[in-house]
Parts: sequence; C-alpha cells; structure tokens
Amino acid sequence: MRGGWIESGPLDEESRIDRAAARRVLVRLARMLRPQRGAVLVATALLVVQTAALLAGPLIVRWGVDAGLVARNGRVVNAAAIAYLVVALLGAGFGRAVIWNVSRTGEDFLRGLRTRVFRHLTGLDLGFFEREKTGRLVARMTSDIDALQELVSQGLVMFVQNVLIFVGTLVVITLLSWELTLCTIIVVPPLLAASIWFRNRSNTAYLNVRDSISSNLSTLQEGLEGVRVVQAYGREGGFIERFEATNEAQYEANIETVRIATRYFPVVEFTGVLGIAVVVGAGSVLVSNDALEVGTVLAFVLYLSNLFEPIQQLSQLYNTLQSAGAALAKIFGLLDTPNSVPERPGAVDLPPTGALEVAGVTFAYGGGPPDTDGIEHPLGPTVLTDVSITVAPGERVALVGPTGAGKSTLAKLMARFYDPLAGEVSYGGVSLRDATRASLRERIVVVPQEGYLFAGTLRDNIRVGDPDADDARIEAAVDALGLREHFESLPEGLDTEVRERGSRLSAGEKQLVSLARAALADPTVLVLDEATSNLDPGTELEVERALEALTEGRTVIVVAHRLSTAARCDRVAVVDEGRILELGSHDELVARGGRYATLFAAWTRSV
Amino acid sequence: MDAEREARRAGWRLIRGATRPQWSWVAAGIAAGAAWTVARLVVPQLAGAAVDDGIRSGDTGRVLVLIAVMLGFGVLQAGASGIRRYCAFRIALRTETDLRAQLFAHLQRLHFAFHDEAQTGQLMARANSDLQQINQVVILIPLTAASLLTMLGVIVIMVSKSVVLAVLALGLLPLLNRAATVFSRRITPVNLALQQELSGLSGVVEESLSGIRVVKGFGAERMQNERLAVRADAVYERSLQAARMRAWFMPLIDLLPTISLVAIIWYGGHLVLDGRLQIGDILAYNLYVAMLIWPLRMVGMLIAQASRASAAAGRIHEVLATDPEVADPHHPVPLPPGPGDLRFEGVSFAYATGRQVLGGLDLHLRGGEAVAIVGATGSGKTTVARLVPRFYDVSAGRVLLDGVDVRDVPVAALRDEVGIVFEDTFLFSDSVRHNIAFSDPGAPFDLVERAARLAGAHGFIAALPDGYDTVIGEHGYSLSGGQRQRIAIARAVLHDPRVLILDDATSAVDPSKEHEIRSALAEVMDGRTTLIIAHRPATIALADRVVLLDEGRAVATGTHEELLATSERYREVLARIEDDEAAIEGSPS
Repeated sequence: MRGGWIESGPLDEESRIDRAAARRVLVRLARMLRPQRGAVLVATALLVVQTAALLAGPLIVRWGVDAGLVARNGRVVNAAAIAYLVVALLGAGFGRAVIWNVSRTGEDFLRGLRTRVFRHLTGLDLGFFEREKTGRLVARMTSDIDALQELVSQGLVMFVQNVLIFVGTLVVITLLSWELTLCTIIVVPPLLAASIWFRNRSNTAYLNVRDSISSNLSTLQEGLEGVRVVQAYGREGGFIERFEATNEAQYEANIETVRIATRYFPVVEFTGVLGIAVVVGAGSVLVSNDALEVGTVLAFVLYLSNLFEPIQQLSQLYNTLQSAGAALAKIFGLLDTPNSVPERPGAVDLPPTGALEVAGVTFAYGGGPPDTDGIEHPLGPTVLTDVSITVAPGERVALVGPTGAGKSTLAKLMARFYDPLAGEVSYGGVSLRDATRASLRERIVVVPQEGYLFAGTLRDNIRVGDPDADDARIEAAVDALGLREHFESLPEGLDTEVRERGSRLSAGEKQLVSLARAALADPTVLVLDEATSNLDPGTELEVERALEALTEGRTVIVVAHRLSTAARCDRVAVVDEGRILELGSHDELVARGGRYATLFAAWTRSV
Repeated sequence: MDAEREARRAGWRLIRGATRPQWSWVAAGIAAGAAWTVARLVVPQLAGAAVDDGIRSGDTGRVLVLIAVMLGFGVLQAGASGIRRYCAFRIALRTETDLRAQLFAHLQRLHFAFHDEAQTGQLMARANSDLQQINQVVILIPLTAASLLTMLGVIVIMVSKSVVLAVLALGLLPLLNRAATVFSRRITPVNLALQQELSGLSGVVEESLSGIRVVKGFGAERMQNERLAVRADAVYERSLQAARMRAWFMPLIDLLPTISLVAIIWYGGHLVLDGRLQIGDILAYNLYVAMLIWPLRMVGMLIAQASRASAAAGRIHEVLATDPEVADPHHPVPLPPGPGDLRFEGVSFAYATGRQVLGGLDLHLRGGEAVAIVGATGSGKTTVARLVPRFYDVSAGRVLLDGVDVRDVPVAALRDEVGIVFEDTFLFSDSVRHNIAFSDPGAPFDLVERAARLAGAHGFIAALPDGYDTVIGEHGYSLSGGQRQRIAIARAVLHDPRVLILDDATSAVDPSKEHEIRSALAEVMDGRTTLIIAHRPATIALADRVVLLDEGRAVATGTHEELLATSERYREVLARIEDDEAAIEGSPS
C-alpha cells in the first residue's frame, strides 16, 4: 500500500544527517565494504542487466507495432512476443539473483558490524560506561543497526534500481525521440515538487502522530494502573473525559496525515493521465509530420510509469536513507571512541604471584575524551592524592572510611579499571599499564557489590568467572564455598533459569552466585566491594562463610562497610578525603586511639 | 475451535456496529470509488481512440478533442481518488478512535476483581495493536470494493472484444493474487522469528551493558562477545531465509503481469492483423493490465488482514462483554445521613480463585469510632477494608453503613462517603495539587493546602521545585514512598468522607517522621469513623479499639493494652509483625 502510511517511519531531528557528514559516512562505508567489493560488483552488474531487461520491453513492443502491425507482418509479431517473453524471464531471473546477492552482501556486512561494534563496546574502559547512558549504547546496537537492516533488506535494491530505471528510461526515450522526450519531461517537475512537499509535510505529521500515540498510551496506562484510585473516588467520568481528549488528539493527528495524502495522491494520478495526454498529443503532431512512428508513441506511454514511479519511491526512500546514514554516523562515532585503559603494544603477562603495590597514586574522574554526543567531561575534583600502600601476597586488607572518601576508587585502580593520573599500580613488580589484559583478569578479579545475573541458568552465570570451565570445575567451585546444598535446593538446582518468574533469587543468593564466579575464576588477588544493603538473615551467614572460604590463601582488598569485616582482616586502611589516614592491624589501630578507634567504639555501642 | 469461531463472529459484529454510525461516509466513499473506477476505465479507451482515430488517420484536431476529454476524466479520476481515500481512512480512524474510547470507558467501570486478573500490558495491547488491526481492515474494505469494480470493468471490456484474448491476458493474473498471498503467509512467520532473534540480540546487549561491572570485574568480555556472535549468526540466518523468499516471490510477482503483456502483443497483434482489433486497443489493454496489479495484491492483503482483524476484534469484544459486577442496584435507596455507623453482619468472602478469606465476620464500628484491625498476613484485613466501598461484594452476609446495606445505595453515593488510602499509593502524572484534588476536583486551593497540612505533607510539598504545581508521577518528579503516602492521605482528607479507611497507609513513612502525621491523623479522624489496617504498634495506638482478625473472623476485641494482657494470639501476631519489620528495615550497621 502506498501513502496514507509510509513505510520507512518518520524522521526526527535525531536521525537527520547533513551533507558533509553524509559524505564522510559514505567514504568510510566504502572503505569498510572493501573486503566485500567482489560481491558488491557482482550485485551491481546483475542490477544493471536486470534493469536493461526491464527497459527492453517497450522497445520490443515498438518494434512489434511498427514492423509487425503497421507493416502487417505476422512473423514479426510472433518474434516480438517471443523476444518479450525471453526478456521478461531473463529480467525475473536476474531480479532473483539481485535480491539474493544484495541481501547476502548486506547481511554479511551487518553481521560483521554487529560483532565489531559490540566487541569494541565491551572492550571500552569502565569510565566510558560511567559517562554514557546505557539506553543510548543499547540503541547503537539495536535501533541504529536495525535502521541499516531495513535499508539492506528493502531500501537498497529499490533505491539503486529506481535510479537506474529513471536514468535508463530517460536515455532510451531521448534516443527514440528527443522532441517527444522534451514534451514528456515537463510533467516531471510538478510531480517532483509535489513528492517533496508530501514527504516533508507527512514527515512532520507522522512525528505528531507518534507523539500523540505515546501521550494517548500513557493516559491509557495511567487509567488502567490507577483504576482502583479512580473508582475509590468515583472519578471514572473525569478520567474518561481526560482519555477522550488524548484519544481525539490522536485521531486529529492521524487524520491530518490523511489530509496531506488526500492532497498528494490526486496530483500523482492526474500526472499519470496528463503524461499520457501529452505523449499522445505531441506524438500525433510528430507522427503526422512523419517525424515518428506510431509504435514509438506506444513505447513512450509504456515508459511513462518508469519515469513517474521512481520519483515517488525515491522521495519516500529518502527518509530510510537519511536515518540509515545518521545511524551509521552514530555507530562510527562509537567505533572511534578510544579505550582509555588500552593494552599497550608489547604488553607482558603479570607474574603468577607477587605483592600489589600502589605507589604515589593521584586520581580524579573525568578528563577523558568527549562522550558520543560530543559533550566534554572535564577533570573533576581530585579523589585520591598521593596514596601509597603495599599488599603482600596472601594478605587481607580492608579499606574503610566514609562515603565518598575514595576507598572504592582506590580498589578500582588496584584492578586497573582506571589508570592513575600520577603514580603507579604494580603487581609483582610489573606496572598494570604494561600488563596484558588477559593476565590482568586472571590474577586480579573484582567482585562487585550487587550480584548481577545474566539470562540463563545458574550454571551459565557462574561460568562468567571462566568461560572455558566445564561442569566439573563449576561444581568444584560451588563445593569449595560450601554452596552445593543451597543451590541444589532451588527448583532445578544449578540448571535453574535465573530470570524466570518464580525462581527469583534473593539479594543474598545473587551474592552467592557472584562469589561462586570468583571461586571459579580462581585469581590470586580478589577485590571485593562489600554490599552496603543488608541481606536476608538466612543467607547472610552463608555469604559470610562462603567469603571466608573464598578469601582463604588469596590476596584480598575489601571495601568494607561493616567494621566486623574490617576486624577480620590482617590490616585496615582508613581512607578519608583521598588519603590513607591510618594503616595497621585492627588491634593496633584500636590501641592507637585514632579515627578507627572512635569508629569502632561507636559501632560496638550500637550493636 | 468453536469458541474461536464464535469469538470471531462476535468480533465482526463489533466491527459492523462500530462502523454503522458512519454510513454516510461509507456511501460517499463507495460513490467516489465508483466514479474513480469509471474514469480509470475510460482513460485508456480514449488514449487508444486517440491513437487509432487521430494519430493513425492523421487527424490532429480529433486527437486534441480526445485529449481534452481525457484530461477531463483525469480531473474526475484525481478528485474521486482523493475523496475515496479520505473516506476510507476517516471511517477506519473514526472506528478505531470510537472503539478505543468505548473500551477505556468500559475498563474504567469494571470491577476490581477483573483488574486483579487482567494484566495492564494485555489490556494496552487490546487498546493499541488490536485496534490497529481493525483499523487496517476497515481501510481495506472500501478500497477493495473499488478494486473489485475495476477488475470487473476490465474483464467486461476485454471479453466484449475477444474472449480468447481476455482469457490469455487475464488468465494468469489470479496467480498473482495467489503468489502474493502465499508469499505473505510464508514470510510472516520468518519475519516474526527474525524479530524474536533481534530481541534476543538486544537482550544480550542490554544485560552486558547493565552488568558491565561484572563483565569487567571477571574479564568476561570474550564470553559476552561470543554470546553476541551466536545471536548475530541467528539474525543473519533468519534474514537470509527471508531474503531467499523475497528472491523467489518478488520477481515472480513482477513477472506475471509481463506475461499478460506478452499475450496481448502476440494474440492481440494477430487480431489487429485480422482487422478485429485496433492498435489503440493494444495500448489500452497494456494500461489495463498495469491497472490490475495493485487490486489483485490488495485482495490478498484483505483476506490476510480480515483474519487478523476478526481475531483482534474477538479479543476486544471479550473485554466489552464483561459486565461490571459491582453496579448500581435496580431500585437504589438514598444513603441516609448518619454518623458513619458501620456494621459487618456474618460477612463471608472468597476471591475468584476460590480462596475463602472471610467466614462469618461480625464487626461493629460506632459512628466516629476508630478501630484498628490487626491480623497475620492472609487473615483478611485488607479484604474487610475493601468491602466497605464495594470494591468487592460479599459472598454472604451484609455490610451496613448507617443502617443501609451498601449494595442498596448508588455506588457513587457510597464511595462519596468512604475515603480509602491504599498501601501502594498511585499518583498520576500531574501536579501535586491536582493529585490531592483528585478526590474533589473543584476544591479551592486553600482546602487542598489544608488537607496537605493535615496529612503532614505541606512541608515537603512547599520545598518542591514548583511547590504544589510540581508535576510528579511516572514522567515527573519522583517522591519517596512515605511522601507518596502522605499525598494519598491528603487526598482522602480532602474527600471529607463519613468513613475513612487507612489500609497500611503509613507503612512507607519513615519512622522518624511518623509522629508528625500521627498527630495530624488524630485530628483528621476526630468525629469520623475510621478503619485502620496497621502493622506498627504506633499506628495501632491511634485507634480507640483493636480487633484481632484470625482466619476470617474477629477473635478478640479490646484496647491495645487489654489485648496484650489477655490474648496470647494477639501477642503472637504482633511479635511476628515486629520480626518482619526488623527484617525489612535491617539492623543498623
């Protein structure tokens, strides 16, 4: 169905792209397509042949009319019919090859783009994800690439084909009769103007429709979710009126698009008739002057639709192309975002064991490249100032201090989530900046506060700790923490789907999964961010026991929110205002009577 | 199967009923469609005549006359086309809009039990995607009518000249319809599967980004990359499957009309040589075949769309056919003035699931008395509260307000005298002021402010960016649970009811702030019958009397102190509630 609704969806400011940007995108796209250039060339060649077959039809009709009907030659009529049939079959065959080739090439490209963008995305530093909104990044991988998918599966063939048909037809009819061509193409500018007018007006109108639908739907949703309050206060009438207003607004927005189409499509239809009239009228003058044969007039009438339809379709495809271009520009922007904690060329593996040493480290957030919207994030206030601490192999160190003191930041630097502005973090004498990414995550693992679960089974979730682990190793990790009984009590044991309704895991159980992951990863250094929120009393004890088993024999840095955790560690570092104020064992610090002693005294009183 | 057929039939009745008010537009649309068809059929005839009578005989004057007539019909065709399109879309949009309004109004009046069962998402789908299916079939009906007329006209014209030519030229075209139908039937499941793969892919993206700290912490980038690659491969496979179908069918759909043209050239050509046809006719027939392509494809679309639409309409009908279970009585009696004396007599209640909640409850609240109902989870406390404003009706026994069965008075009058504050507060995306005045839209501002003060809400409202005009709710400023509850209390206060029901209405209020509203609540409750469903002893203390509910009956009554002293069960229930509270709020760290 044409018109009334349009196929490619409206274009908002977000999905527009200016000419210069479009050129950059095209150049880069061409470069990216270079590995597939063979396939692109084949597809283009096929398209040209198919278009040629399409254009040959009216020429054959012309020959059949002039040499067959006018000259009264039955054999020419037969030959013309056979030729037409052959050309039509060829056209269909090539058409099939075109669709298949263009789709396959396009889908190949899209698959490559998807995996490449995602690989780049997951490889970026944590700072990047703190700057960007998750929703926008998801959109790069979904709606933006989907816009390209639409282009590949529908738009691209239509676009190229329409251009070829229009230009090809123009060339052929000019060769047949330039005089009649001149007369015919006067119909093109008004149709073109009308088509552009329609595209612009209907675009605005469809944006209105989109807004009106979303506001109507939110009234609807409110009315349904709030129905109990509405009824409790007997306000059904008022709410129905409110809905009717947004409902009518949606109708109005919709009917406006119909009005616009109602003005445009009659122009299209009249242009079609006008085209025939012009060809027949001018043709008759030319024929009577013996400048033309009647078959040519017939061929011209048949060619008319080859001139008119591309104009309508191209003006509609413009939106698809624009949004695809804008989407590509955004995707390229993402691919250009550099990783601010890259793996240095010639990076070395970290030694199997060693001390974790923080030497004179200063750090502030921000100061990285602008985000993908081009917004700068200037360097923020200093979070850590000249911090030094050495953690011996197998030692457990707790970081304590008020919120915002910099203890979490210090922990993240120890795992190279960020690089320090000044100073150095090293493991076994090798700076983390010089380490390979793989060896870094093999030695140092960070267990975040909340146990985030991915879709899949419990087993899949534990495997995050080491993708190559087999079931036996996963079960060994679970056993090592004494969690087998707990996990097997779930509906389907380790094969329980964690996201399914009814098997919702509690916050404590999520923590247990997180610890099992860490046990599977089996690093030498564990960086733990203790949960601030309290867990359900049942699992709290289990979490503590599992933690105890997990940290056994490993170097541990724990961001402690509970002093009971700190008390169990070998040493405690009191962090405040970006510095380590006190450092020593729990007993030493309590005996010293400083900051930690005060905190501890307050805490023992409250328990 | 029969049920489905019945639902579809009901769906068609619904569509017919909804389009009936627009008969004038339907008639105009059909008339315009007929005029459009006639004009379209005439133009090729004129073009053919111009070629034969004008060009071939060299009569330019006659050509000009024919062209003038042709342009006249062109104007008619264009005008009729516009009117026809406008009518078709208007009818469809009007039908969709009216049905949506009807559906919404009906849903607003349906009883609580219906909404307990129904999912918002599903009802939204009824009002959105299902109605769009209906819209599209309604558009297609008048458009297809004109298409059928066009087809009929073309067939008549061709057959009148030569039956054989008509058969040769048009014989293959039904295959076009068939091919289009088969194509859409085959590609629809593939496209659905593709959508599914795409959403699976976006699921991997979303969770990888939401869980990026885990991914980074464990170095699980490679694992997620591989999971995505699997999804990308699946998308690729599905897309190619769809492409393969397009590659088969699209060229075929384009080929069939061309074969008709070949037939016209060949057999028509020989007819011309035999003198039974003119060259102009060949031109006209060519134009006719081009004219038939869309109508034939549209008939296929209509059939597919009709099936989707009738199923959608059946689902909508099912909602509309649900009668509100709580309705005005046939012979309503007015609610007499009174102090708000509330009496439950042998009240039993079971939910639709069959779970018996109340079994023979007897309870009496004297006018102006404040009674707290205490009971373990599942004891039926909330149900007691919801029977008063008839959110549900009793299964046995009766609820009397000032001596009248609540089922005998008009629902609106009853609810006007009962104010309820729910545990889960619902606020609308609107200003604070309108949210409070929701219970009494005409209330002057000073009354709204007074209600807010009484609910202990004025302080934080005044501190909001735009005070009482601050927009809150889903699309606005977000408030804490306790703040939301205080706005809901203000709403009930403004309502000024005879009976006030606080259903766990202060559960989310920070305990340190609770004393503020407690004194305010005491003032509000003064002289009003109040039913308090409470957990916290502090809130229970607001009541004059406490009723202990156990297994759907009132098992003990007295003051808080009396019950503590005499009832073992009461102590048990309170202890359990305190345990739960402690677990929820956690111990201080």
